[in-house]
Amino acid sequence: MSRFFINCDQASILSTREQYGDLNPKEAFRHQLHRGHCIGCRSFHKNNQRFQRKLKSLKWVALTIAQKQSIKKCLVEAMTK
Amino acid sequence: MRKEIEKQLPEVKLIPEKWVDRYGDYLFNFTISRVNDPIMAQDLVSETFLAGLKSAHRFKGNSTERTWLISILKRKIIDYYRKINSNKGKAEVRMSYLTNSDQEGDWMEEKAADLRNPNVEDMIEQKELSDVLEECIACLPERYATIFVQKTIDNLETETICKEHNITASNLWVIIHRARVQLMECLNNKWHKNS
Repeated sequence: MSRFFINCDQASILSTREQYGDLNPKEAFRHQLHRGHCIGCRSFHKNNQRFQRKLKSLKWVALTIAQKQSIKKCLVEAMTK
Repeated sequence: MRKEIEKQLPEVKLIPEKWVDRYGDYLFNFTISRVNDPIMAQDLVSETFLAGLKSAHRFKGNSTERTWLISILKRKIIDYYRKINSNKGKAEVRMSYLTNSDQEGDWMEEKAADLRNPNVEDMIEQKELSDVLEECIACLPERYATIFVQKTIDNLETETICKEHNITASNLWVIIHRARVQLMECLNNKWHKNS
């Protein structure tokens, strides 16, 4: 039975991993089963999903590899001076 | 007493070789949300690292490397706005506007945001939210913040992050989970209560 049932600590980690698409089918099933009977984890999961949607809605930008290399080059030049 | 406490604190060492990989994207995001120009943002980030290198001997280790770099960057951004708001800067902006555009019209009117436009409202909200989130990320322990940013914003593979920080995958998920819980609480306090 313990193969199926997980505690709340484990469930909350699974909830976070789910936001990154990191769960395998067994873990997803265990998580769903736990949420089925635990109101706290169900609520946490909802908040977690809402938070993830917020994060996704933000436009994150990143330096391109070329930009990073250009900055690194400047830094290395300055360090060798 | 103070000296004794300082002795007990772990010494924070600067590692300039890793600055670009560790903080490049974070500083770039921070800058671009304030200057709205990717080329200028890249220049400011680069200048920040160079200024950090120059004043490395003044770093006392009282704050983290990232907090220290952010404080330098903030000063760079203020300098940038001072420059463009000087009379000479305004003239340069106006000149470039006139030479780049065939249209004639009131410059201020065209540059000012139309607040009735829903997209503008969304943009303002997004900007405010990302500012609050940046503040919240800055409040996280450095290790949590770095790992959270690498996984969530930079979309790095779990394995890559684990190798860099020498941790197991389960450690990584615990760190990300704790970071997210703290960020959610912080957002609740700073964002939802204000809106």
